[in-house]
Amino acid sequence: TTGDVEEDVPATAAKSAEDRKAAAALAALDDTPRGDEEVKNVDQEAARKAMNKLGGGAKQGEAKKDLKRVKVDAGDVTLLVDQLELTKTKATELLKQHDGDVVKAMRAFIAPRF
Amino acid sequence: MDIRVLQASDLPLIQHANLENLPENYFLKYYLYHALSWPQLSYVAVDVSRPQKTPYDYPKIVGYVLAKMEEEPADGIPHGHITSLSVMRTHRRLGIAEKLMRQSQLAMVESFGAHYVSLHVRVSNQAAIHLYRDTLGFKNEKTEAKYYADGEDAFCMKLELESIREQIRDEREAEKEKDGGK
Amino acid sequence: MPQPLSTREANLFRQVIRNYEDKQYKRGLKAAEQILKKTPRHGDTMAMKALILNAQGKTDEAFALGKEALTVDMRSHICWHVYGLLYRTHKNFEEAIKAYKFALRLEPESPQIQRDLAILQIQMRDYQGYVQSRHAMLQAKPQLRQSWTGLAIAHHLAGELQEAENILTTYQDTLKNAPSKTDLENSEAVMYRNMIIAETGDTQRALEHLESDAKDNLDRLAVMERRAEYLSKLGRKDEAATAYRALLDRNSEHPQYYYDLIKALGIEEDAKAKKAIFDEYADKYARCDAARRIPLDFLSGDEFREAARRYLTLMLNKAVPSTFANLKHLYSDSFKKETLPALAEAYLESEDGKKVQGKAAALYFLAQHYNYHLSRDLTKAMEYCEKAIELEPKSVDFAMTKARIYKHHGNVKKASEAMDYARSLDIKDRYINSKAAKYQLRNNENEKALKTMGLFTRADTVGGPLVDLLDMQCVWFLTEDGEAHARRGNTGLALKRFHQIWNIFDIWQEDQFDFHSFSLRKGLIRAYVDMIRWEDRLREHPFYSRAALDAVKLYVSMYDASGAGLANGVNGSASGAAADGGADVAAEKKAAKKAKKEAQKAEREAAEKAAKQDPNKAAAAQKGKGEEPAAKKDDDPEGKKLAQTKDPLDDVMKFLTPLLQFSPKNIEAQFAGFEVFLRRRKYVLALGCLNAAHALDAEHPKVHLHALRLRHALDAETLGGLPAPVQAVIKADFAAAAPPPGA
Repeated sequence: TTGDVEEDVPATAAKSAEDRKAAAALAALDDTPRGDEEVKNVDQEAARKAMNKLGGGAKQGEAKKDLKRVKVDAGDVTLLVDQLELTKTKATELLKQHDGDVVKAMRAFIAPRF
Repeated sequence: MDIRVLQASDLPLIQHANLENLPENYFLKYYLYHALSWPQLSYVAVDVSRPQKTPYDYPKIVGYVLAKMEEEPADGIPHGHITSLSVMRTHRRLGIAEKLMRQSQLAMVESFGAHYVSLHVRVSNQAAIHLYRDTLGFKNEKTEAKYYADGEDAFCMKLELESIREQIRDEREAEKEKDGGK
Repeated sequence: MPQPLSTREANLFRQVIRNYEDKQYKRGLKAAEQILKKTPRHGDTMAMKALILNAQGKTDEAFALGKEALTVDMRSHICWHVYGLLYRTHKNFEEAIKAYKFALRLEPESPQIQRDLAILQIQMRDYQGYVQSRHAMLQAKPQLRQSWTGLAIAHHLAGELQEAENILTTYQDTLKNAPSKTDLENSEAVMYRNMIIAETGDTQRALEHLESDAKDNLDRLAVMERRAEYLSKLGRKDEAATAYRALLDRNSEHPQYYYDLIKALGIEEDAKAKKAIFDEYADKYARCDAARRIPLDFLSGDEFREAARRYLTLMLNKAVPSTFANLKHLYSDSFKKETLPALAEAYLESEDGKKVQGKAAALYFLAQHYNYHLSRDLTKAMEYCEKAIELEPKSVDFAMTKARIYKHHGNVKKASEAMDYARSLDIKDRYINSKAAKYQLRNNENEKALKTMGLFTRADTVGGPLVDLLDMQCVWFLTEDGEAHARRGNTGLALKRFHQIWNIFDIWQEDQFDFHSFSLRKGLIRAYVDMIRWEDRLREHPFYSRAALDAVKLYVSMYDASGAGLANGVNGSASGAAADGGADVAAEKKAAKKAKKEAQKAEREAAEKAAKQDPNKAAAAQKGKGEEPAAKKDDDPEGKKLAQTKDPLDDVMKFLTPLLQFSPKNIEAQFAGFEVFLRRRKYVLALGCLNAAHALDAEHPKVHLHALRLRHALDAETLGGLPAPVQAVIKADFAAAAPPPGA
């Protein structure tokens, strides 16, 4: 169809050259640089000091610690594992989140989440 | 229809558009590589008027340009390269390809200081060649023999981006004068 | 205890490591063997050998040797590190993390172990663990910008925005001189910090930061967009309007800019004022589509008619094929639904409508109008389509629409033929080729469709078109192919396709792995965060849910056909899914056998063809990748093993669990969950799906049907036999969708 041209644009890129480029780019993604990169513009002493001020690593969630104290019944965990098809860890966590109340835990689990 | 910069969530449907339209295809990871290396350069044309069937429907991609900077330019001059460009045949004649290309070219200059942009095109693809040469002003540099998997030759085309560079320089000057005048 | 090595062997050992890093696996193996000849129980060498075997694709052998190495030398960080790497290859990420942690305890200063651990933690979204690792990495190298950025990202992703910003600020304060304007990494760092400030909700500060630090930023578009957004949020309307106007001058095809400009001007409710804005840009940009089309969304009455007439005339004069597609969303308004075809008819009577191109375009528009479900009259659709074809017999678009009309008639055979004819009109265009293949699949012509696809797949791919389509992750074809096989009763191949799609999503998830370090090295953080957030919800994509729903339907029907469901009374006549799949097993088996034979033949032919074209291609491709292993051979290409499963209700969980997790608002997903859980006799979970479906659409007929089925399944005896807490849950929660059992 003449005059149909304006932009039937399937373009570019191909086998040999282009494919090799693609393969090479993907293969190089996880290259680890050997040795340190150049460090020109940083006041090393200041960086060290600043870092020391940042304090410790990750903070543990407060809520999680509280959950540790909740006592759960082993039979209830087994029931949740069976009925809700959860792992033991997940079932225990769910139960703890609902103060060890197995009915509450199940009802919360199946409540629509949207 | 909406023309905007590419997002990661567009990738499955960009790949889909590519597979539907063109014989040169890539892994999703190669698209991801473009999106994460030159996030400013790739654009999509999206059909926003389709009603959603589920809350998880993604807008349909009807055209895209996947672009990059040449990583180690042989001539030492920073320049862009069009990896892939296509527009669904149902969405042609709206100038989508041209609009996608213009957005990408502007970003090539602004973000990466590109001096020109290059691409390959099948020597038989009259429509695409017309777009590149007549509408966008690309010049044919040379022919690469048997560039494509099926043995077809490619034209290697090139467009100088000097006018965009100049335009940006002018804008910067104007801004500076304005700031200085305050 | 590790055996000591002689100097010569110690040198050899260093060489093994170097060879491994350089991917010179054969040389590495040779050197390792030399060491082991002298010192057979050297744990570290055994571990390195295992690592090389693993890289060569001999994963099982590698794993066995890795374990042995560890028993030989429990105190070696190399053995533990390798053990972790091997677990990672086996995709047992939790065990891998544990092994890395052991290794790190033995060798706390090792940057490689720390790096591998950190990457796996972020891949697994263990944010707290990642923060700790990044902290340690910063301790080790505070002089590197990426150490700081890495820790900031960790806090950011963990939701600790203040910490993240604090770290970026702290680093910036240590810089001696202002970075150059063309420093891309710094330019990005500024914008990343701005993104974090904005996410804290402090828009004022985000704006101030942007205006002070991002004036010459290399990402000009992002700066302009953020600035407009912040001004708008802060109620600085005049400035916001100016900012959006600048964006429209840059890209007048982005509708959101118009909407935001209109909001900034405070004229959302004033159709006339809004129209004036769009007219202004339509005048300014002669080729702009958005400014001409969008007003049709909000105009009404005569104003709509006039604007639509002008738009339609312009589009039909140019014969823009997407004209109908770009207007059909207006059909929810009945006035517009009546007006548009009337305008097209009027156009046919006009001067423009007498010219061939315009006339054909208008007829084409009307054909699509009558083919659309909200205005369907298929007889009329065909009349208009034939008239258009008469004018332009070579038009692919018109021929394609004819096939669509047949499809809507329910005549998949004629539709397939018509689409193949459309394909023949432009055999160089892959788009129409893809459509022809799709229609062949809808007509259950799997083998023919693969041949059609083969016209555009790479001829040199060993294994033929299917392998190329798999390699290239062509999800649409695999889905349609699987659905067609399922319709033909060819369970194995159908399951095979759905599992292949599942695997593609697995690859897409794995794809992010390399970018955790790559993006940090490149310093392009915002795009990386965008990717992380997208990957988190990867499987909500309709590509996944469609294949998963197909798989669930098939597995459920397999279960029902096995008789297990019937015997237990859960599969009453009410079960829709069961009725579709279980029918006429003998006929299906016969069809399946025939299909399989045909498929085998097609594959054989393709392989032969590929071999003829270039026998060396496979070997050459292999070479290009260095010494990397060949892809593992598929030991179940036809899905026979999948189809022979003893426990379809167990296999199905692989598809169902992500479906429910990522697409809970898709009512079909909830129905699928209901079917599975009812058969698994997990009544609490079945009830959960039922209630979710009820919450999504209380009026959906299936909601009532399934409530009845659940009540039926939970007769007094069954209910009474359940544990008391389960009974309590059912009594308490059943009420939402239907009266509780026994009420």
